[in-house]
Amino acid sequence: MSDSSSNLSSKWTTFLGLGVVALVAAWVLAFLGLGQHDHRPALSVLLGCLFWASLLIGMLMLTMITRVFDAGWAPVIRRNWEFMIGALPIVLLLGVVPLAFLPDFRHLLWEWTDAKHLLPSGHEVGHDPILQAKSWFLNEKFFLVRISLYVVFFGVLAWAMRRWSFKQDSDRTAGHTHTLHAFSAAGIPLSAVALTMLAFDCLMALSYHWFSTMYGVWFFALSIRLALAATVILTYRLSNGGWLDGILNQAHRHVLGCLMLAFTVFWAYISFSQYFLIYTANIPEETFWYNIREFNPVTGLKSEWWGVSMYLIFGFFLLPFLALLFYRSKIVPGRLLTIAIIIFVGGIVDLWFNAVPRQIVDKTAPEGFTVTPFLSGGLATDLLAIAGFGALVIGLFLRSSTKAETIPVHDPRILESINYHE
Amino acid sequence: MNERNERIYGVACTFRKPADVFHAAEKVRDAGWTRWDVHTPFPIHGMDQAMGLPRSKVPRLTLLGGVTGFITGCLLTWYMNSFDYPLIVGGKPYWSAIYPFPVMYECTILFAAFGTFFGQFILNRLPHHHHPLFELPNFARVSDDTFMVVLEANDPKFHVDESRNFLQSLGGQEITVIRD
Repeated sequence: MSDSSSNLSSKWTTFLGLGVVALVAAWVLAFLGLGQHDHRPALSVLLGCLFWASLLIGMLMLTMITRVFDAGWAPVIRRNWEFMIGALPIVLLLGVVPLAFLPDFRHLLWEWTDAKHLLPSGHEVGHDPILQAKSWFLNEKFFLVRISLYVVFFGVLAWAMRRWSFKQDSDRTAGHTHTLHAFSAAGIPLSAVALTMLAFDCLMALSYHWFSTMYGVWFFALSIRLALAATVILTYRLSNGGWLDGILNQAHRHVLGCLMLAFTVFWAYISFSQYFLIYTANIPEETFWYNIREFNPVTGLKSEWWGVSMYLIFGFFLLPFLALLFYRSKIVPGRLLTIAIIIFVGGIVDLWFNAVPRQIVDKTAPEGFTVTPFLSGGLATDLLAIAGFGALVIGLFLRSSTKAETIPVHDPRILESINYHE
Repeated sequence: MNERNERIYGVACTFRKPADVFHAAEKVRDAGWTRWDVHTPFPIHGMDQAMGLPRSKVPRLTLLGGVTGFITGCLLTWYMNSFDYPLIVGGKPYWSAIYPFPVMYECTILFAAFGTFFGQFILNRLPHHHHPLFELPNFARVSDDTFMVVLEANDPKFHVDESRNFLQSLGGQEITVIRD
């Protein structure tokens, strides 16, 4: 390991410290919100947790996908994903797990768990026939069991993907590659189920009347987009004074750029399909979800959320899509980095759009409710929580990088990966 | 037929190893040749750069096709549902950007595919039913165990004897003048 690389790794305590400070602050705000029956600071912690959980699940999926397909380009980049995914269970344990297990936070965030919660219709959640019909799935015990299972499942899978890969550094056994190939083949379909359920439970159930079978696929598309964008940003840094200096080449950037383009199109396809089917069918039990994201129920005019949705179409899809069509955007480091940052920021906006708007009961409003505004102090606590979890993840990533070779020197495909050619 | 009336297509030269033909290609590129080609039994990584070939122009035709298709899809749905025979379907507007989007997007893909397919036909000058190289007795071997560099007569640098000597200096094995 070169000097600059070990300098980089030794910064892990700084990042971890910053992360802990920011997370403590975010949690303090969440507890203060609890006193005022304000769900917004708690939602910030959930968003920060899910943003990074989504990104890390995307990296876990990419790790397994490149294992299953024996991708020759992958080993030098995959080692960094392996360093990253160790943080996945910790991110879940510090965010969604306490929010779900502490009854006060659970009742505040997931309204369906609070039988006394008043709906805009004037009824209590406990007497809601829609919830009663779904109660075989949406009941508190099963919900907590599922949340625990996600942590165990993703934790074990991430541990396995790291263990045998790191072991290969010391014992030079090619057989570990076959072991991981088998783990990945089983892990991909299981992860698909787990991440779909995670998206249903943590995000879709925030508005439990609404349902979309596309939701899990949307979460997967977002996860991979975030993972790829973060990979581009990370490898850019690591190839400028890190352990990928002189190793990351144009062909690696090109393949990451191509994947970013593919998943940008995939995300748009999934998001549009969900909207399009609901728009065409025009059933009130589905359309209300998009209505509160387009109109202000008091004035009937377009709301701030309409602007956010336009940003998603033009800023999160069209701009990266058009930019990535050009070959040079995929190989010139600065351009690829810029596009990756646009996608990374857009991912936060997409989570805002999906998680934040909710109906707040207000007897004075004509329809009996108002909608959470987009522009509020909540955005600042969201960014605080995202930064906190982010610093924690980077700290754990740098710490992992001291535990194994930063380049998987005994991977059977390491030469193919280093000499990867377009 | 005497030699003066016969058109010369170019000079071909065979090589035994991928490395030999690779370095020969670099030297031909550096000598400033523009009308020439390399034939190999399998793709050789880095040959594009060794030959100094620019990137393909097909993606531009794909983009052109895609944009044309998107506009066609817009006009098609607008003309049919909103202009020629205004019709309300499922309570949707006569024309909006949402309900006909599948049509617009399918047209984009279809026309982009046309742009790619016919674009490569045009740029590759296909269909091409015959090629002077097919007359070469050992040309079939470039799909087996032989590598070949062909310098074409329509290159401004071409001169039969000089080209022959040039290929000899590159370490070529069999050198043949190809006639049309």
